[in-house]
Amino acid sequence: MAIVAQSTRYGKVTRTILAWAVGLLFFFPIFWLVLTSFKTDADAVKPEFLFFFTPTLENYLNMTENYDYWRFATNSIITSIFATVFTLAVGIPCAYAMAFNPSRATKDVLMWMLSTKMLPAAAVLYPMTFLTKNFLGIYDTHFLVIIVLSLINLPIVVWMLFTYFKEIPKDIIEAGKMDGVNTWGEIREILIPLAWGGIASTALLCFIFCWNEAYWTVRLTTTEAATLSKLIEGNRAPEGLFFGRLSAVSAAAVGPIVVLGWFCQKQLVQGLTFGAVK
Amino acid sequence: MAVTDAGPATEVAKRPSRLFKNLASKIAAVPMVLVALVIFVGCTIWTIYHSFTRSRLLPAPEKWVGLDNYERLWGENRWLISIENLAIYGFCSLTLSLTIGFVLAALLDRKIRFENTIRTIILYPFALSFVVTGLAWQWILNPQLGLQNVVRSWGWESFAFDPLNNAEIVIFGILIAGIWQGSGFVMVLLLAGMRGIDEDIWKASRVEGIPAWKTYIFIVIPMMRPVFVTAIVIIASGIIKVYDLVVAQTSGGPGIASEVPAKYVIEKMFFSQNLGLGFAASTMMLLSVLVVLIPWAYLEFGGKKNG
Repeated sequence: MAIVAQSTRYGKVTRTILAWAVGLLFFFPIFWLVLTSFKTDADAVKPEFLFFFTPTLENYLNMTENYDYWRFATNSIITSIFATVFTLAVGIPCAYAMAFNPSRATKDVLMWMLSTKMLPAAAVLYPMTFLTKNFLGIYDTHFLVIIVLSLINLPIVVWMLFTYFKEIPKDIIEAGKMDGVNTWGEIREILIPLAWGGIASTALLCFIFCWNEAYWTVRLTTTEAATLSKLIEGNRAPEGLFFGRLSAVSAAAVGPIVVLGWFCQKQLVQGLTFGAVK
Repeated sequence: MAVTDAGPATEVAKRPSRLFKNLASKIAAVPMVLVALVIFVGCTIWTIYHSFTRSRLLPAPEKWVGLDNYERLWGENRWLISIENLAIYGFCSLTLSLTIGFVLAALLDRKIRFENTIRTIILYPFALSFVVTGLAWQWILNPQLGLQNVVRSWGWESFAFDPLNNAEIVIFGILIAGIWQGSGFVMVLLLAGMRGIDEDIWKASRVEGIPAWKTYIFIVIPMMRPVFVTAIVIIASGIIKVYDLVVAQTSGGPGIASEVPAKYVIEKMFFSQNLGLGFAASTMMLLSVLVVLIPWAYLEFGGKKNG
């Protein structure tokens, strides 16, 4: 940036060191978690083995053999992917309508949708559990988890897409209309290619939220559709017990998302920038 | 008066044609609105209705008891502690995440070596769920295993840092984990916003001799308003989710010192079969969110509506 010229070389070195220190501070808990997952349960609680210990794969082997990790992981992948796709399929037309054909109520509707995100889930949890279990018979199914994940993420997805779409000049869309393209054509041929960065980063964020959701998925599933959040929940023990095992489960639960994040973070940052530029 | 009335009047005159002109796009927005309306509002009304009854287990013979549940709720120490904790956590988490996120963004904005790598590292906690975050920090804040022990092994024998077992400060132990998880995302968001600001503004302020910190506070921050709104929305939805963090870190302990409303509700509904009280608690949560949110939202969005 422009200020760089003004700053001294000394200042730059200080800032770089500072930034790295902060980075390490942020990284440490993750490092610790992964490190602990390679310790036996007994070693994990001994301070003298903090950094120096005999690594073991026991926890991971135990997890895949006795706890059916892959079933939970498959459930997480299925529900998160379908929920993200569904959310975008509903969210894109919605944000499109709000950004390009705003009416006087648009801001109110948007605000109202966002406000539902702020409302406590606890108020809806019991009726939902009761309804799905006793009347609809969809308790503990992929279908239910996908629907619930989509609904809780829709407001933020619509909000983010709306802020991206707003940046696109209206004339481009109008030009499409002149050429006789219908609404679906406009969305598919013009809007999606133009806002691709924003859509991709929104999708990634939505996927992360779906993957990590625990409040709902733990309570609306038992075995069939149980996700990785449920696996962690099931392995939690009173303080001091099974730290090694628990951290292996945690590391394996966040592993896929961390790998995905590594490949997509550039996309995410670019997408965010795209939305922020006026 | 006549002049101010002219605007809305012409708007109204145009309305019928507008209503049909964008019909297709309005239809596109209908599913979302309908689904949200039916499920969310429906279930919420159901909850509010049952908060006035003495339901213990559903389906139950409902008995209307008026405000009884509310009286019991506000008489209960556990509920009061929950409210206080959420207030402290919410306020601190919002201000600290924004401050830390902004400072980090300003730091990274100044051409740091390996900026991408650092940015990725700081962003990573955000990819972790609150449950995993809570577990990791439970270990770090554990006196025998974590920070306290490490510092003591360096020779500072009297060092004491054990927030999770101290009822007075336990909520701040949870706060540390929450901020660690969220501020990276705030940073990336704000950094993106900063990159969108014209370089000429920096040049102009330098010509005028305005110090950098003043430029940030009086020029850059006001310009980044939309980005801040998005950041606040995401932080706020994290505050609502603090339940996961509390359960993973302390299970509400020591004693009931780190209870939060969401946990209170779950406990009443699923474990102690006291639905009426649980519903009353969730209605109170609903009400308090509305009281805070609606005035803010109208200030934020109301002003721009005609712009």
